[in-house]
Amino acid sequence: MAHTRISNKMPPHIEPARAPIAFGRRAIPKLNEELASEDLVTRQCALASLCDLVHDPERAYETIETGCLENLKRLLRDKDSVVRRKTTEVLYELSVHNVGRDAFLQNEVILSLAELLDEPVDICRVNMHKTLEMLSEFTPGAAGIVDAGLVPQLVLKLPSELVEIQEIILDTLHFCLRVNVSQALASGAISILKEKLLHNSVAIRSKAAQALMGICVPLEGKNEVCKQNIIPILVRLLKDRHPEVAAKAAGSLMIATITTQGKYAALKAMAIPPLLQLVSSPVTEVSLNAIKAITTLAEAPEGRQELLNHVAVLESKQDHSSEIIRRAAGTAVRVITWKP
Amino acid sequence: MTSVLPPQKESTSGTYTFSSRPRALPNRSKYRDPVAELQEEPTQYGNIMYDRRVIRGNTYAQHILPVSAQPDPIEIQRQQEVRRRAAAKKRAKDQLRPRTPEPVEGRKHIDVQTELYLEELSDRIVETDVECQTDAFLDKPPTPLFVPAKTGRDAVTQIEEGELFDFDIEVKPVLEVFIGKTIEQALLEVMEEEELANLRGQQRAFEELRNAELAEVQRLEEQERRHREEKERRMREQREVLRLEKETAEKIAARVFAKHYLADLIPSIYSNLRDNGYFYDPVERDIETNFLNWLVKDVENTLDDHVLGRKVLDMLIREVVEKRLDVFQQMEQQHNASA
Repeated sequence: MAHTRISNKMPPHIEPARAPIAFGRRAIPKLNEELASEDLVTRQCALASLCDLVHDPERAYETIETGCLENLKRLLRDKDSVVRRKTTEVLYELSVHNVGRDAFLQNEVILSLAELLDEPVDICRVNMHKTLEMLSEFTPGAAGIVDAGLVPQLVLKLPSELVEIQEIILDTLHFCLRVNVSQALASGAISILKEKLLHNSVAIRSKAAQALMGICVPLEGKNEVCKQNIIPILVRLLKDRHPEVAAKAAGSLMIATITTQGKYAALKAMAIPPLLQLVSSPVTEVSLNAIKAITTLAEAPEGRQELLNHVAVLESKQDHSSEIIRRAAGTAVRVITWKP
Repeated sequence: MTSVLPPQKESTSGTYTFSSRPRALPNRSKYRDPVAELQEEPTQYGNIMYDRRVIRGNTYAQHILPVSAQPDPIEIQRQQEVRRRAAAKKRAKDQLRPRTPEPVEGRKHIDVQTELYLEELSDRIVETDVECQTDAFLDKPPTPLFVPAKTGRDAVTQIEEGELFDFDIEVKPVLEVFIGKTIEQALLEVMEEEELANLRGQQRAFEELRNAELAEVQRLEEQERRHREEKERRMREQREVLRLEKETAEKIAARVFAKHYLADLIPSIYSNLRDNGYFYDPVERDIETNFLNWLVKDVENTLDDHVLGRKVLDMLIREVVEKRLDVFQQMEQQHNASA
């Protein structure tokens, strides 16, 4: 019988761990079919090849168009851990592209990803959290995550996870908090973040302070923060050696001290001297947040009195190169020297 | 000359059927009769060139078997036609083949040998029987190792170094491709990471700005709220004070007015009461009520009596007058009657 194969021997399989990629347009559909096969090795090889291909945005678009997402969602529940790990990697690569993120929201991949929250294999969880974080960076994605009710679960996972996963969760929470804070507050996020503020790792401290900043934005958050005595901890963090931590702590302070309660708590915790030190820091974020915090504290009469002695420091900042710092310093000086 | 097939082959492939079964050729005369040739039927043996089962044509396209095992009737017809045509063609070709012309009248063709050495022709072929038998008591000696006789010529070849190809030159393009692809991939990945890092940097800057602005907005909101509340409070207080003042003034005015109003209240009360008769002289009252009542009643009675008397008088007068009238009328009538 005539056959399309030229020789009886198959062409040499160079990389046994990857499925051979067909030419041109046929590559992704073929891999898609292989993903649905019963044989474990075929699936693993197909996933490995897909993982390499998806870096390219055109291939990512093709992948989504040919509907690989259904197969990938099914493979997330596969029994083999290598398959799951590769699937999460592929999903992470897809979420880096915008079309991927849109497709995730349309096909409700978030819920399937959420099933992996209790995954025993570490690397799968890391990839899954990285995917969620990438997804939350843009607003519809964050809204999707909030709608799926993942925020309380993430908050609950926070104390018990590995350090690097904690960092990723804190980032995800930071973006989700921009959309909706009440869910996080309801699950007691503030007390958990309080512990994290004193963690050994720099990244965790700064990210926890950043998440706190997000929580403090609505009024209930500010009240909770004052009630749980977080402000003294934040003041202590202002003296931290690492500028990111100090910057984020100053940021949280600047938002939390907007209420009168917050102001007095901060003044009681002697926040003004470290803030004045931070104003002269070379890092833009640090000095900007410090100036803003000083501005809010100057609204209170006691604060104003104390700060009248230090107006010179702020006035020196008014010739700074960055425009926002100039504006912030001007506002601060104006508020301090205001007479009712 | 075909040999008889060994029996093993037939048992292993039981379903194998021959299209043209190998057979030993029969004894036949050396020179065939042209008449006997035509009697041979072509279907006794199968020619592989005309076997339907052998694929001919292009080997790179697939041969699709017909769906039904029965050949199409059209196919059968076509094949029959083809067969008929082939037979006709063969017959025609035979006829066209040049033969020796027919013998002239009175003569007959006869075969003649024209070779150098004449051969005796006869139907029977010369045969001789030969027999051979090993000695019954002699053991067959072991067969010596069969070394086939050397045939052909010896030849030697050797590939010297550098004769086939120069590895370094040949490997260059392959290496270039390899390294090029690897570096390209690496560059792509590095660029991706750089891009990501740039994006993150921009994001950070944006976030700082955003946070600062957010804090500013909230602070200003708060300030505004506080100022407004303060203003409201003060205004409310002012209003309270004013209200209280007004109330006190009103109270004072009311008091003064009331006092003034009530000042001549008592004399006026007394005068009013007196006017309405609440203070009375008892004797006067008594006279007025009892005495005058009796007086008036008495007067009434008296007057009634007077009226009664007058009425009686009137009645009397009337009666009299009526009687007189009657009398007068009677007199008149009498007068009239008598006159």
